[in-house]
Amino acid sequence: MSHDEHTPFRENIPAYALGALDAQDAAALESHLQTCASCRTDLAGYRAVGDHLLTALPPRNPPAALRRRLQSRLPSAQKAIRPRLNWSISRVAVGAMFTLLLALNVNSVLQVSALQLQQAELTRQIQTSQTVLALLSYPNTQNLPIHANDANVAGTLLLDMDRNIATLIVWNMPQLQEDQTYQIWLIDPHGNRTNAGIFRPDLGQPFTTASILSTGNLSDYIGIGVTVEPTGGSDQPTGPRIVSVDF
Amino acid sequence: MTDIDDNELIARVAQSDERAFLVLYDRYASRVHALTLRILRDPMQAEEATQDAFFKLWNHASQYLAERGNLLVWLLTIARRTALDRLRLESRRPVINDADRPEDILQSIPDFHTLPEESRWRSLHFSVQSLQPNQRQVIELAYYQGLSQSEIADVLGWPLGTVKTRLRAAMEYLRHEWIEK
Repeated sequence: MSHDEHTPFRENIPAYALGALDAQDAAALESHLQTCASCRTDLAGYRAVGDHLLTALPPRNPPAALRRRLQSRLPSAQKAIRPRLNWSISRVAVGAMFTLLLALNVNSVLQVSALQLQQAELTRQIQTSQTVLALLSYPNTQNLPIHANDANVAGTLLLDMDRNIATLIVWNMPQLQEDQTYQIWLIDPHGNRTNAGIFRPDLGQPFTTASILSTGNLSDYIGIGVTVEPTGGSDQPTGPRIVSVDF
Repeated sequence: MTDIDDNELIARVAQSDERAFLVLYDRYASRVHALTLRILRDPMQAEEATQDAFFKLWNHASQYLAERGNLLVWLLTIARRTALDRLRLESRRPVINDADRPEDILQSIPDFHTLPEESRWRSLHFSVQSLQPNQRQVIELAYYQGLSQSEIADVLGWPLGTVKTRLRAAMEYLRHEWIEK
């Protein structure tokens, strides 16, 4: 390559060494440098000038706080800030405690609900007992015997046609499975069955009392039957009849 | 540890030795900060750039190759790029003045006697100061502000050819002073 051909490239080397050569000229020079050892030597000399420019400035101390900031971000300092991690663990512990308290609270609510149900059942039993006492003391109350296939099962239906009230009192009713209930049916002269309420044997007592619920006149019926039905009752009798009473 | 040489220290930093890292910081923070301050001309920005440069040193210490140049130049090259990146990010126009006002320098220069390279940087510095003012201005904008020759021509309102000539002349002079002498 002649001296004239070198010249435009050589003139650009100082600016290139400083990173100040415009992109198009830089690309041309880079291409030239790949084949020109002489220009690469020149470039090395000018790059050394650039390195010297880096170190040619009078030192300036940064604020002392900068060193502290830098140090605080090094791994050992980050480990020293472990309380943050412990804080996180504490938060997990607090979260777990809250969860536990929530669970306890839910459990308490469930227990209260169960107590309320028991209270309602006791209230029902008291009301039934009061009804029974009232019926027993009323002169027109009929005391009708019950019929049962099980010889151990016995009892009475207290019936007041005038006030349209009836209460069943049964001893030794067999215990039911969890998904079962007793259902009372009013039986009309045509043999039709009408739902008159459901009940389960009273726990802890040898007898069970159940009020007969009727929207019509009890005098329209000829008797009642009690069958075993799925929990919640059925539209018509589906299970075996345990008790019956003729009016 | 303060008497250990740079190569040993950087090797220890590559092994996550924080004490070695802080020794290097104490040794060169004033040089790095001088450069970032010169480029950014804003103390807060310069502090952040100095911090970034040292974190890059911490994170990339294993990539340092002694045969490619001394550690200070490597660190300052990192600092220059970091500061110029910030400058470009903000698209700030360069400030055209002479940053080397003697009163500023005297207030901020650390204790000379603690710097083993004091005489060296002082020599380099005065070589730059001895350039003709218009040549020094071009060097300033090209190297410390990261501008191309065309951008320098725009900023100073000079013909591009004039910028090229002055830059070339300044570089020839410095090469003669620093490399060939």
